[in-house]
Amino acid sequence: MTTGRKIGDMVLGLITSGMGLPVAVVLGLIVFFSIGSDAFLSLRNLTAISGQASTLLLACLGATFVVLMGSIDLSVGAIVLLVGAVTVKAINAFDLGVGALLVGLLTGMMLGAGNGLIFAFGRIPSFVVTLGTLSVFTGAAWEILQGRALRFDSLLFENMAIGQLIPRFPNIALIAIITWVLMVFLCFKTRFGRYMFIIGGGEAVATTAGIPVRRYKVYAFMLSGAMAGFTGALAVARLGTAGPTLGQDLLLNTLAAIVVGGTSLSGGIGGVHRTLIGVLIIALLDNGLNLMGVNQYSQMMVKGGVVIAAVLISQERGKISVMK
Amino acid sequence: MFRPRRPVEASGGQMSEQGIVLWGRGITKSFGGTEALRDVDFDVSMNQVVGIVGENGAGKTTLFNIISGIVPPDAGEMVCRGRPFAPTGYRDASQVGISRVFQEQALIPNIRVYENLLLSHETTYSWVGQLIDKKRMVATAQRIIDQAGLDIDVRRPTASYSFSKRQLIEIARACIVPTEVLGIQDPIVLLDEPTSALEKSDEEVFRKLITRLRERASIVFVSHRLSEVLELSDVIYVLKDGKLVATVDPANATERVLHERMVGREREADYYHESDQSEVTDRPVVYRVQGLTRGGHYDDVSLDVRGGEIVGIGGLLNSGKSEFGKGVSGIIAPESGSVQMNDSDPELPNVCRLTARGLAYVPAERLLEGLISRFSAAWNVSLAGGGDLFANRFGVWSGRREAEVTESYIQKLAIKAGGPHVLCSTLSGGNQQKVVLARWLCRDAKVLILDNPTRGVDAGAKEEIYKLIRRLASEGAGIILITDELLELIGLSNRVVVMRHGRVAETVDAAVNAKPTERQLIEIMLSPSRDDGDAIELAAAS
Repeated sequence: MTTGRKIGDMVLGLITSGMGLPVAVVLGLIVFFSIGSDAFLSLRNLTAISGQASTLLLACLGATFVVLMGSIDLSVGAIVLLVGAVTVKAINAFDLGVGALLVGLLTGMMLGAGNGLIFAFGRIPSFVVTLGTLSVFTGAAWEILQGRALRFDSLLFENMAIGQLIPRFPNIALIAIITWVLMVFLCFKTRFGRYMFIIGGGEAVATTAGIPVRRYKVYAFMLSGAMAGFTGALAVARLGTAGPTLGQDLLLNTLAAIVVGGTSLSGGIGGVHRTLIGVLIIALLDNGLNLMGVNQYSQMMVKGGVVIAAVLISQERGKISVMK
Repeated sequence: MFRPRRPVEASGGQMSEQGIVLWGRGITKSFGGTEALRDVDFDVSMNQVVGIVGENGAGKTTLFNIISGIVPPDAGEMVCRGRPFAPTGYRDASQVGISRVFQEQALIPNIRVYENLLLSHETTYSWVGQLIDKKRMVATAQRIIDQAGLDIDVRRPTASYSFSKRQLIEIARACIVPTEVLGIQDPIVLLDEPTSALEKSDEEVFRKLITRLRERASIVFVSHRLSEVLELSDVIYVLKDGKLVATVDPANATERVLHERMVGREREADYYHESDQSEVTDRPVVYRVQGLTRGGHYDDVSLDVRGGEIVGIGGLLNSGKSEFGKGVSGIIAPESGSVQMNDSDPELPNVCRLTARGLAYVPAERLLEGLISRFSAAWNVSLAGGGDLFANRFGVWSGRREAEVTESYIQKLAIKAGGPHVLCSTLSGGNQQKVVLARWLCRDAKVLILDNPTRGVDAGAKEEIYKLIRRLASEGAGIILITDELLELIGLSNRVVVMRHGRVAETVDAAVNAKPTERQLIEIMLSPSRDDGDAIELAAAS
């Protein structure tokens, strides 16, 4: 088989797997913004994009599993904020260094477990549970921060995010990519990943087949929380502070990236690999529109429109009979 | 929206001389490499009843989908009332007077019967589009019901009628509304398994309904009940493996002849493989159920299942036998009672724990609870708790093993599927059920709880499933068989437990040469008791 054929097959595979359009959008955005702004393709800006995109990607990776399972996690941004605040407090109190990442991850996992337990055993829609905890976590974080931005002083920890093991490529981006690879593996090559698809595709079938559905629901929220916590700690390391607005843009951005990437909100369709593309679309939009001087408010309108458009295009409307 | 239409020009030059209202030639359709229909020709004459029979997977539903515009054919043409007919949706079809009653009910339960009957025709009965002339709607609806000869008050909420009655309402709607409301003469009505959900007492009403309706409509209907098809049809088309294999005149055909045409073989005398039934009195008990109770559903049910034994559970629809099946497998945990698998301690059943130990549950509602039809066969075969069969102890999944195992069961069970990655939505009911069974076979289930394992399955696949159940028993598995089909219950079981109002009414021995008769079992099922006031629902006793 020639290389040409191979590439042709790959392109065909992309299109038939439903990823053709998102990938085309990414390429289109790159072309569009590089024409619209000279600074867009500069190394400096690409480094900036990779930094911004990494935070979003890390925050989305866990939440994608929840969406795949047919539920939703609205508390991702709030966990990032709360864990960010807790991490800074912890670093200042105990001089944790790199260990702060683990603290962030575990704190997030606990918060996610709370979400999952209430959702799975209280039998309350995940939308309601996480809307509630969104408020609880945000309030708790602001209580800790007392309305101020908390600083920390640990060069080692800071380097975790903004150091560059690979020149021009911040460590946070490297971590995000490695985590993404791990999550793609988790999604397609493990029992956990398969159960997410099955619960999202047919929960009643999963139950009669003896799959411990509730336990896996809790696991999914724990993963989502853990990844959000991990993101919170890294975001703090990247910014040098934990401020009250940390993670605020993640509520829309995570869901937007997951959905734009092609994971269906109805559950059972999509996958973590797609979320990378979705994150790129959102991050490129944010960055490019900024560079072109589009104001913040118009940007919000564009992004909202993109999310709705993505769902409109991606779902097979013919197969949906009832929408509530 | 729909508007009242002028009658479609009927009769006259545009119609062919024999009064054929709809015909198709060379209809062909395949799904993902499987040919569902191949070169099928059909004619529907005015005021005729056309019966379509065939095994599941023979292409009956696909043919209906094509006629009603839900899927387009790959090749072939159709002509309706003299005009080329290539519908792109159910709406197109309904505008030329084709209406269909689907297997699933399409009535909305929380509104009144007349609203359901005239659903989507409200504009005909309203001023300025919104104010509804209720009186006129009720009058029209009642006229429709009267014409159908049904005893129903259209002002009552739809949900207050039984499933069976609602089915009749739907049939009446499909047959009479096009004429009564849209002014279409001679509508063509497609009925998909109209009687499968009917209570015994309503079957007679259905027959009368069809006799009345044939005066004013052409009816095409699919049914697994051959006696009914023979009785009602003017002509019978037999489909087999997507091909039209015979056009039968019911006047000189019998059930046996039809069956032979459908499956291409004669029904064997030993349909239930009774000679393979094993003697189990000295075998160890593999599943012991004690005092299982769930309020309002079943009460204090105890039974033992020995290795190699098939314990049949029969009863009317309201006997609680299906709920008991869900309870005994731990899917909906009972309030009290215990189960014991082999030597385990007695415990409240829990489906996750039990499946990990080798229990299998096959639900009656295949598409809701049995399999996920938009996933592949392989995914559905591997879909079960205690996932260590396809995942190693670190939880890493082996897609290759999954595909291999599925492929081997496609061979062993003769599942008509192009390969392990074929989507289950493209398989017929019988093949889907084999996929569900393969899920448990590959796990070597020791105790199986089967709820109506042959429901909606054609005769050929049925026979294969019976053979499979026998084989599992002879290999030592304990089986609880819950079924509405009396012959299956009697033929397969070593013992029949009859449930009535959630309790065990009687246990009847069914040794090979001393099987109880249908009549005996029905007596026990019906046996009068104080709280037996309302209508008796007899489960498919035929």
